[in-house]
Amino acid sequence: MNNAHMNMALYARRRRFNRVAMLLSFSSAAAGMVALAWILATLFLKGAAGVSLSVFTHMTPPPGSAGGLLNAMYGSLVQTLIATLIGTPVGILAGTYMAEYGRNTKLTSVVRFINDVLLSAPSIVVGLFVYEIMVQPMGHFSAWAGCVALSILVLPVVVRTTEDMLLLVPDSLREAASALGAPRWLVIQQVCYRAARAGLITGTLLAIARVSGETAPLLFTSLNNQFWSTNMNAPMANLPVVIFQFALSPYPDWQRLAWTGALLITLTVLALNVFARTIARPRSSGH
Amino acid sequence: MNTAVTAVAGNPSPTLARHKLMESLLRILTRCAAITVLIMLSGVIISLIDGSLPALKAFGFSFFHTESWNPVTEKFGAAAPIYGTLVTSLIAMLIGFPISIGIAVFITELCPPKLKQPISTAIELLAGIPSIIYGIWGLFVLAPLLQKYVQPLLIKAFDGVPGLSTLFAGPPYGIGVLTAGLILSIMVLPFITSITRDVFETVPPMLKESAYGLGCTTWEVVRHVVLPFTKTGVIGGVMLGLGRALGETMAVTFVIGNAHRISHSLLAPGTTISASIANEFTEADGTLYTSSLIALGLILFIITFIVLGAARLMLLRMKQSEGR
Amino acid sequence: MQTRPNVELMKAELTEPIKDALTEKVSIRNLDFFYGDYRALKSISLPLYDRKVTAFIGPSGCGKSTLLRILNRMYDLYPGQRAAGEVLLDGKNIIDPKTDVNLLRAQIGMVFQKPTPFPMSIYDNIAFGIRLYEKVPKADMNDRVEDALKRTALWDEVKDKLQASGLGLSGGQQQRLCIARSIAVRPQVLLLDEPTSALDPISTAKIEELIYQLKADYTIAIVTHNMQQAARAADFSAFMYLGELVEFGTTDQVFTRPREQRTEDYITGRFG
Repeated sequence: MNNAHMNMALYARRRRFNRVAMLLSFSSAAAGMVALAWILATLFLKGAAGVSLSVFTHMTPPPGSAGGLLNAMYGSLVQTLIATLIGTPVGILAGTYMAEYGRNTKLTSVVRFINDVLLSAPSIVVGLFVYEIMVQPMGHFSAWAGCVALSILVLPVVVRTTEDMLLLVPDSLREAASALGAPRWLVIQQVCYRAARAGLITGTLLAIARVSGETAPLLFTSLNNQFWSTNMNAPMANLPVVIFQFALSPYPDWQRLAWTGALLITLTVLALNVFARTIARPRSSGH
Repeated sequence: MNTAVTAVAGNPSPTLARHKLMESLLRILTRCAAITVLIMLSGVIISLIDGSLPALKAFGFSFFHTESWNPVTEKFGAAAPIYGTLVTSLIAMLIGFPISIGIAVFITELCPPKLKQPISTAIELLAGIPSIIYGIWGLFVLAPLLQKYVQPLLIKAFDGVPGLSTLFAGPPYGIGVLTAGLILSIMVLPFITSITRDVFETVPPMLKESAYGLGCTTWEVVRHVVLPFTKTGVIGGVMLGLGRALGETMAVTFVIGNAHRISHSLLAPGTTISASIANEFTEADGTLYTSSLIALGLILFIITFIVLGAARLMLLRMKQSEGR
Repeated sequence: MQTRPNVELMKAELTEPIKDALTEKVSIRNLDFFYGDYRALKSISLPLYDRKVTAFIGPSGCGKSTLLRILNRMYDLYPGQRAAGEVLLDGKNIIDPKTDVNLLRAQIGMVFQKPTPFPMSIYDNIAFGIRLYEKVPKADMNDRVEDALKRTALWDEVKDKLQASGLGLSGGQQQRLCIARSIAVRPQVLLLDEPTSALDPISTAKIEELIYQLKADYTIAIVTHNMQQAARAADFSAFMYLGELVEFGTTDQVFTRPREQRTEDYITGRFG
C-alpha cells in the first residue's frame, strides 16, 4: 500500500490511546456489574439467613427478642396500594390532557416542565410537605399521611409515562376512529388507551416499584408502629422505615431482621421492574 | 345537518347530548388533573416557605452561612449541610460521570451483541434498588472496607502533598463525606448511563461509518462524532444524575456520620441537607428547630429546582445551536 | 458457470488505446459475503481500474452496496458479517484479518447516500481527517483545506464561513463537503454509495461533474440507482442481480450491447 504521506508514529500513538480508552470503557462496565453483583450477593447472604416463617407471621419485636416483619409488610402493602390508587388515576388523566386535549398548549409545556421537576424532586421534601399539610394540622402521624406522600411520588411517574405512551399512538389511528364519527372522548377511551395499554400498565408498575422502596417521605408521615395496626388514622409500620431503624440499631436481632427486610423489598422492587419491562417490550417493538 | 343525523340514527338527540356531556367532562377532568401537578409544586413551595419562616426570621441571611447547629442554644445555620450536599454530589459526579460514559461506550460500541441486553438490564436494575439498600450496604460492607484498606492508603499516599493532604487527613472513620460520595456515584450510574446510551444510539450509523471511513479509531469516533452529536442529551443525563445525588436521602444518612461541621478532610464525617432532616426531624422539639429543618428542605428544593431548570435551559440553547 | 462474465474476454474487447492504459487498482476475486448464514454475495470477480470510474447498478438488494462496503471493510463494524475470497488493493489482500482496517480506510475514502458532515466547523470537518495521519503545520493545513474545498468547487461558497458549522450548508454543499473531506486525506480509491440519492437535480449535476474531474487522480467506484447517472459518469459498469455479478464491461458496451438478457431487461426498464 502506498501510504508514504502517513505519519506512522502518530498512528501508533493513536492506536495506543484507543486501546487505553477501550480498556477503561470495559473496566467501567465491569465495575458496574461488580457493584450490582456485590450488593445483591451481600443482600442474599445476609438476608436469606434470616428468612423464616416467623418473619411473615410475627410482629416487629422489641430489642433482644425474636420476631418478624408482619406488621411492616402489611403497612407497606396497604400504603403502597392506596398511594397507587390515588396517584395513578390523576396521573393518567393529567397525561391524557397533555397528549390529547392539551397537546402543544402552553399549559402542557408548563406542566411537563413542572412534572419533570417533581419527578426528580428529593422525596424527603415531599415528606416535609405532607407533614406540613397533614401531620401538623391533625396533630399526629398517620398512615393516611404516608399514603398521600407516596401518591405524590406516584403522580409524576404516571404522568410522564402516560404522556409518552399516548404520544406513541399514531395520529392515523385517532383520525381513523374520528372518521367513523366517534367523539374525542370515545377515541381516547376506546382507541388511545387500548393502544397504549401496555405502556400505561408499565408506567403504573414502575411507579409502584419506585414508591415501595421509598423511606424518606414516610419518616415523618406514617412514622412507624411496633404493633399490628390497621388504623389508617394512626402511625403505621412499613418495611423501609423499619429497616432504617433496625439497621442503625446496636441489636443483632434487629439488624438481622433489617437485612431480611432489605432482601424482601429489593426482590419485590426488582421483580416489579423486570415484570414492567417484559410487558413493555413486545408491544413497543410491535408497533 | 342535525336532520340528516336524525334520519340516519333514528333518535340521536340523547346520544348526542351524552357525547357532548362526556366530552366536556373528560376535557375538564383531564385539565384539572394536569393543573393538579402545578398545584403540587406550588403547594410544596408555599408550605416549605411557610414552615421555614420562623427560622429565617430568627436568623436572617446568616442562616445560610452559619456553621453552628446547636439544638440546646437554639442556634441554627445551614452552612454545614449545604456544604456536605454539594461536596458529596460533586464526588458522585466526578466518579460517576466518566464511568457512566465508559459503560455507555462499552454497550454501544464494544459489547458483543449477545451481551448488550443483559448488561443494559443489569445497569437498569441498579437504578431499581431502593436507596435504603445502598445505605445499609454502604454502612455494613463498603464503609468497613474503606476504613480498613482504602482510607489508610489515601492518607499515606497524600501525606505531605500540599492541598491533598488536608483533603485526605485522618483518622479513617470509614463513614464520612467520601464514602457518601462513593455510594452516590454508584447510585447515579444507571441514570446517567441509560440516558447516555439512549442518546448514543440516536447517532446515525452512517455518520459513525463516515468517521470510521476516514480511518478513525473507536475512541476517536466517540470523542469527535458521537459525543459532540449527543452532548445535549449527555448533559441532560448528567443533570438528572446530579439532581438525584443532591436530593438522595437514605443512602447518605447511613454513611455520612451526621456531624454538623465543615471539615476540610473528605474522610471526616459530615452531613447533608437531606440526612439532617431524616435524622433529626422527628426528634426536633421547639418551633425553631423544626423550622430550621424545613428551611433546609426549602434550600434543597431550590437547589434541585435550579439544577433542573438550568438543565432545561441548556438543553434548549444547545438544541438551537446543534453541532457548533 | 456460464453466467459468470469472463473478465479477460471483456478486456480483449476493449479498444486498444484504453486497454493499454488500464491497470487494476483493485482486484476482486471469488468474493463471497455473508450476513450471518445468508450468502449475500456469490463469488464475485471483477477489477476496478486505476483512475477510472466503475459503476455498480442493479435492483435494490442485489448486493451492490454490500460489495462497496467490503472494499473498506466497513462490515467489520458489525458482528456476524463476514467476507471470503480475495480483494487485492495493489496486490495486497485487504480481506486478510491482519490488515489494519484504520489504515485501509484512510486510503479508501467513502461517501454515503446522505451527506454526513461531522458536528464541527466546515474547516474542522476537513482538517479532522488530515490530522489523523499527518502532522501538518497550521499554514499547510489551511492550504490543504483550501485545496480540498477548491477541488470540490465549494471554496467560493464557504471561504467566508469556514468556522461555521458544516450542518448549516445545503444538502448538495454538505455532500461536496463530505467528498472534500474524503479526498483531503489523500486516499487512492473513492467509494461513492449512491452519493446523489438525497440531492436535487442541480446538486446531482455538480456532483457528477466533480466525479468526472476526480477520476484524474482517484480510482472511483460508485453505486447508483440511476441508470443515466451510470451512463454519464462511469467508464465501466457492473450489473448485479441477487448477489451475483451478471455482467461487467465498459459502460458503453453494457448499456448498448449487453451480453446478458437480464442486463438488457434491467436497462430497458423491464424489471427492477
